[in-house]
Amino acid sequence: MMPEDILRVIVVDDEELARTLLRELLGAHADIEIIGECGNGFEAVKAVTEKKPDLLLLDIQMPKLDGFDVLELIGTEVPVVFVTAYDQYAIKAFQVHAVDYLLKPFGAERLAEALARARARIGTREALPAKALVSEARAARAPLERILIRDKADVHVIPVAKIDYFESQDDYVSLKVGDKTLLKEQTLSELEQLLDPGRFVRIHRRYLLNVARLAKIEQSVTDSRVAVLQDGTEIPISRSGYAKLREIL
Amino acid sequence: MHPILGSVRRLAFYLLAWIVIGLLLSVGLGYGLAGDWLTAVLFFVPLGVVYALVTQSAWYVCRIFPLVRARGWHVAGAQILAAIFASAIWVAAAGAWSRTLAAMGFDAAGSMYDPQRPLLFVVGALLFWLVSIFFYLLIAFDASKDAERANVELSLLAREAELKALRAQIDPHFIFNSLHSISALTATDPAAARRMCLLLADFLRETLRLGGNEQIPLSEELALADRYLAIEQVRLGARLNVARDADSSAANCLVPPLLLQPLVENAVTHGIAQLVEGGTIRMAAACSGSTLTITLENPCDPDRARTRGVGLGLELLRKRLTNHFGAIDAVYAQERDGQFRVEVRIPVVTGAPA
Repeated sequence: MMPEDILRVIVVDDEELARTLLRELLGAHADIEIIGECGNGFEAVKAVTEKKPDLLLLDIQMPKLDGFDVLELIGTEVPVVFVTAYDQYAIKAFQVHAVDYLLKPFGAERLAEALARARARIGTREALPAKALVSEARAARAPLERILIRDKADVHVIPVAKIDYFESQDDYVSLKVGDKTLLKEQTLSELEQLLDPGRFVRIHRRYLLNVARLAKIEQSVTDSRVAVLQDGTEIPISRSGYAKLREIL
Repeated sequence: MHPILGSVRRLAFYLLAWIVIGLLLSVGLGYGLAGDWLTAVLFFVPLGVVYALVTQSAWYVCRIFPLVRARGWHVAGAQILAAIFASAIWVAAAGAWSRTLAAMGFDAAGSMYDPQRPLLFVVGALLFWLVSIFFYLLIAFDASKDAERANVELSLLAREAELKALRAQIDPHFIFNSLHSISALTATDPAAARRMCLLLADFLRETLRLGGNEQIPLSEELALADRYLAIEQVRLGARLNVARDADSSAANCLVPPLLLQPLVENAVTHGIAQLVEGGTIRMAAACSGSTLTITLENPCDPDRARTRGVGLGLELLRKRLTNHFGAIDAVYAQERDGQFRVEVRIPVVTGAPA
């Protein structure tokens, strides 16, 4: 077999035994090489970043970051086969363009089928989830309770309650969390749709404010208004932003 | 269906009662006028049997004008009219019978009829009403029996539904995950795979068995939880630790079956399994005075994605305990600093399990 035909796989499951089984079953395939095993989503994102696998076998039920979180973070880099005991995620899995969906317990034959399907799709554009599909899957889980940020190999999980406000930066959004600023590759409008509209208000074309942080609204000389946050930060409020704010307060 | 005419046995009893009434009438209204027992009895007893059949019509009057639902004056009117009608038949029959007896040579028979025709009419009406009262009592009795049966049926249904719900509580994903673990172990550690099979079989069998009881000793519930946790320990490995502390008086208390199970499952699924490092589930049970307190504590991820599962399970448990013990507030849950704690406080019940 030619070396370029080898499929380089990373196995992600928080259960040791589940990984053992996959290792055993994958061992029967000469054209598969396991280049990494991860026990949680953080390790998975790191491994994907560093090792650039051809395929990810990804458990859904995992602590902190579940399979869908991992997929959201790695976005369109690697094709994924989901592995889970829960059948209720099947539809969502295919929505995010998973190559296959293995239901535990599964046997060698079913796994071989999934690998064959992965092989058939790798190399075609179909193998990778379109960005739109990933964000669609994300929308299915709205309103967001936490924001996941990938900083190369590292992952930050930020509960939305800790965020003061979001600021739009072209294709990115910056998050102000106390005195820290974090960047996420997403548009402000997209985020606005995913967050609870009762808690986060678009007060300006460029700002999405956590209403709980608002201390007062000041009228400046030129008929425009400014939001003063509890820590003293000032953010401009647009005319339509002020209307939205008044509706909620 | 007519309650008397529908059954030979009841009809016999009823006629017997009327023969007694006939004898009483012979004493009260017959002997004094006829002056001879045979004539008095010959007059009133057959007359009583005839009237026994005539008064059966009271059943239909009672059915058409039930005491509880029909208006008072409807009932009274119907009963008066029916009594007049029945009693008229009774008096006419008495007249015919007295003449027949006289023709047969019992001359005194006429003396019991002619002078006390009005009295016979009144007695006939009163007897009719007596039968009506009897039928009304019968209807009330049947109604209460029906209500009782419906009640028993209802509680049986409710119990069955609860049992079904209890059995359905076995999370299928728990079984799928366990089977997956067994599948993994068969190649690497066949002995462990076999142990796991037996554990799983024991757990399932015990769950089905305990669910069929009204109440079980807490010790059995704790043993079931141990089995469950032993299975989950195979799956989750070192991430799951268990500490258990139940004093012997608490272990002997009787509790509704599968009380602990949903709490233990919550602790694993929403607690330990959501933590990268895992943690320890602490179970404790103690009696103080007349209260049994069962406590379950587990670490949890404060930032985890909230699912409806936990709240729903606690709500179901709360409802079950209210059904079982009456209106008590038995379940207390709180989450603080990454520790989830549930406390169940129920009355101490001891004795043989029912």
